[in-house]
Amino acid sequence: MNRHAPTRLWSASPLTRLALLVALVLSVWPLYWMVVIASRDTSAASQVPPPFLPGGNLGTNVRRALADESSHLLTGLGNSIVVSGTVTLAVVVISSLAGFAFARLRFAGRTGLLVVVLLTMMVPLQQIGIIPLYIAMVQLNWVNTMQAVILPFLVNGFGIFLMRQYTVQAVPNELIEAARMDGASTWRIYLSVVLPAVRPGIAVLALLTFMQNWNEFLWPLVVLQPDNPTVQVAIRGLSQSNHGQDYSMIFTGTLLSIVPLVVVFAAFGRQIVGGLMEGAVKA
Amino acid sequence: MTRVLRRTRAVALAAVLALVATATAACSNGDDGLDANGNIVLTVKVFGGAGFGYDNLVKQYEKDHKGIKVKYQIVTDDYDNEFRPQMLQWLEAGSGAGDVVGIEEQGVGQMMSLSDAWADLSQYGLNSRKKDYPSWKWELGHTGDGKLAGLGTDVGGMAMCYRTDLFKKAGLPTDRDKVSRMWKDWDGFTKAGEKFVASGVKSAFVDSPNQLYNTRMIQEAGKADGISYFDRHDKYVLGKNKAVRTAFDYIKTLNSKKIIGKYQNLSDEWKKAMQADGFATMACPAWMMGVIKDTSGKSNAGKWDVATVPGGSGNWGGSWLGVPAQSKHPEEAAKLASYLTSTSSQVTAFEKISAFPSSVKGQKDPKVAKLSDKYFNDAPTGKIIGDSVRNFKPVYFGELHSAVRAAVEDVLFGMVQGTYSPSEAWPKFVKAGQKVVDTSQ
Amino acid sequence: MATTAKVPPRGTLAARADLKASPYLFVSPYFLLFALFGLFPLGFTLWVSLYNWKLAGDKTYVGLHNYRFLLGDDGFWGAVTNTLGMFVMATVPQLVLALLLANALNRRMRGRLALRMGVLLPMVTSVVAVAIVFSQLFSHQYGMINWLLSLLGVDRIDWTAGKLPSWTAISAMVDWRWTGYNAIIYLAAMQTIPSDLYEAAALDGASPRRQFWHITVPQLKPVIVFTVFISTMGGLMLFAEPMMFGDGRLDGGSRGDFQTISLYIVQAFRERNNYGMAAAAAWLLFLLIMIVALVNYLLVNRVRGTK
Repeated sequence: MNRHAPTRLWSASPLTRLALLVALVLSVWPLYWMVVIASRDTSAASQVPPPFLPGGNLGTNVRRALADESSHLLTGLGNSIVVSGTVTLAVVVISSLAGFAFARLRFAGRTGLLVVVLLTMMVPLQQIGIIPLYIAMVQLNWVNTMQAVILPFLVNGFGIFLMRQYTVQAVPNELIEAARMDGASTWRIYLSVVLPAVRPGIAVLALLTFMQNWNEFLWPLVVLQPDNPTVQVAIRGLSQSNHGQDYSMIFTGTLLSIVPLVVVFAAFGRQIVGGLMEGAVKA
Repeated sequence: MTRVLRRTRAVALAAVLALVATATAACSNGDDGLDANGNIVLTVKVFGGAGFGYDNLVKQYEKDHKGIKVKYQIVTDDYDNEFRPQMLQWLEAGSGAGDVVGIEEQGVGQMMSLSDAWADLSQYGLNSRKKDYPSWKWELGHTGDGKLAGLGTDVGGMAMCYRTDLFKKAGLPTDRDKVSRMWKDWDGFTKAGEKFVASGVKSAFVDSPNQLYNTRMIQEAGKADGISYFDRHDKYVLGKNKAVRTAFDYIKTLNSKKIIGKYQNLSDEWKKAMQADGFATMACPAWMMGVIKDTSGKSNAGKWDVATVPGGSGNWGGSWLGVPAQSKHPEEAAKLASYLTSTSSQVTAFEKISAFPSSVKGQKDPKVAKLSDKYFNDAPTGKIIGDSVRNFKPVYFGELHSAVRAAVEDVLFGMVQGTYSPSEAWPKFVKAGQKVVDTSQ
Repeated sequence: MATTAKVPPRGTLAARADLKASPYLFVSPYFLLFALFGLFPLGFTLWVSLYNWKLAGDKTYVGLHNYRFLLGDDGFWGAVTNTLGMFVMATVPQLVLALLLANALNRRMRGRLALRMGVLLPMVTSVVAVAIVFSQLFSHQYGMINWLLSLLGVDRIDWTAGKLPSWTAISAMVDWRWTGYNAIIYLAAMQTIPSDLYEAAALDGASPRRQFWHITVPQLKPVIVFTVFISTMGGLMLFAEPMMFGDGRLDGGSRGDFQTISLYIVQAFRERNNYGMAAAAAWLLFLLIMIVALVNYLLVNRVRGTK
């Protein structure tokens, strides 16, 4: 992964080790505490001093949270998988295509268009344009539909930028020239030369996009209804609804909302760290 | 590398599946208001910490009416900040409102101003329900141009809930008749608070400024001309209204004596305090008793009791059910609304969540009038609340009342919390409401 | 090329069309979507902002009234102050801590990967979950943080009362989620710094701390600018954290101490039914982002210039 000669590293001093330990504890603590409350009963959140060890009610609480009719947590989890998955797939395709074009194809207006992409990276247009987007969704009768939460997030300038950087690095011009000599069309080159080469980049982009959309809150909150939420809106509903006082259940909901991400992280954490580090340097 | 590759494939596959799922979901999400089996689906949207108490009624209705399915949704416990704005958005957007929806008293002015948004219930023969209601409750369910748009559910008869265990610790009487006598009027309430604070018991005496403020304000307004934030021409008159000022100053006085807890009602902190002995008394509209039961939970059963409210009478809250014009099955929805607001349904709801019937017959029903509540030390809640609404005079709530309320109560809470000094609080209070009026034009 | 015979005539019409058209086809999906969901809403926002616009019913042209109102409204200026204040409070410590953390992680020790994954863990949590958990931790009477403070003899702090406490609590949520992420990015960049720079410095007797400030930090400048840039976008759009911290309401506390511009916008159209004013506030937010982005851009140029 690291192509550079390894830097001679200082050995960590005891103080550094201690600082890292503190950082690790702080990083993990809120998550641990989430588990503690989620596995106890209702009163745990208002106890002083607070409880520090998990209880035995996690299973019950999970069942209660999933069965809670007013928060629609299960629907929320399903919807979020659909929305984040669809957006991720589409963004990967759109970005790798455009990234390839910007990196290795020559066409009039390339620089200008690339500047436009970079500019769009800076502005979260979905949030600025929330009012007309909502008005439009009302007109289209798309309020409370999945396409309403999917389509606006397909615009992702960062993805193009990232894929362009990856393509520049991973696909030398000679490779493309060679393929052209073999008579490959541009589309074929994209499929059989570019795509295989930029796979690590795609993995990073996919993970970041999935995570970003999993956490999207404002727009789904506005355009979806409480009975058909995404996961973030659902756990907000869980904390606001008639069970607003049941903290063990709310925390169980928050715990369930991160399970899919944590599973991915646990399975591919090494690659995520590696991919992120590699991606960061390229970006 | 290969692992990454395989994973990419898996992710892509999942996404494709997801895409297909979306497409099919979008298709089956037809908006004819029918489910897959051709049943008519009616969505009931309500609010409140304990909802409207319709769970069993809805099941019964489905059983009695083949071909009709009812989705009963409790959207949120916060009417002013959450349910009302959302409902407004759905009504204006032309979809999403549901088929039968709850309208709270403080928002009834705004909802009835949107005449086009509601189905005319008189078209479905529901003018016949007039005899069930006191005239004010019936009249308030009409739009500005006289359309019958809402059928009354409950009224918010007032009581005062208190914690016997904390009262005992503080050396206050615990027997509900003695307590009622102790705070026959508001001065008595103040004195009880002072005594409680002096005892050194750690809990706050009053839960939050907001609950008590509303109780007093509506009581004073009812005694006077029935006006609070807006006059009957919907002019913003909060700054000049005596009832409002009296209630505000009362909170200010109590606050200076440290009698009020630093909790905002319905907030997380408030709910936790309710579970953890955070406060000893709470103004209790009938429906609030359901909230207490739900929130403070089994571990606090028997610690709460119910006394009369200082000043005797009062009403806070109470609701209507309306049928949005956007409903695909307005006739069936109207029938369901009529069923849910019928006298017997109101009695059932009272038994379930303590929502006091607005139906005249319902109030006299022995199941209501004689009801005592185990959770509250067998307090005769039916009688206490019934007495409080007997002499009650209705208060007018303007179109923007609920929105103004949310804003000014922030200032009121800020005074107790310390973000506003007591001297600046009143002018800010008036200004906060004015700003809502200005920005809502 | 072993099979030169197979090379097709490169000048055929199809091949030329492919060469000419493919690039545009490849970038067109993005620009199509951008026009529909980026450019059009932006323009339409401007249009709506000039009206007294209700979702249903009349729309009356009011010119610049909405802008005049906002610029004269202390609530809106409060939201601007809060947004910028929380942005600075969240970003500066976050990036400094991330740098120090990256430097610490860039040492020889056992369990390095576990440590890296550990500090990255907060990033894979979900935003509302974090906000709910932290709101509990910062609870006035029942929160763990006030409990710890009380053990130290410090009075309980009402974290929702006043700008400083609420900004601190909300910044803590943001920092918790993103410090590890930025640290990993810095760490990656650190590993590309040529080792001879350090070796030369070590020969000159420079301490590790001196090396950090005189070699590592200057070498990381472009990456630091990049992270500042990313944090800016998140910071100026802050919505979920202050909303959940304020009990799910849009008012940002009893005095609006932590109402951000995003909360203000949503309050304007959701609670006041005033789409015109919300649109005007959105445009002012857009301008604010442009200004901050411009400052960032000048910063980048300056860094490039000095290199």
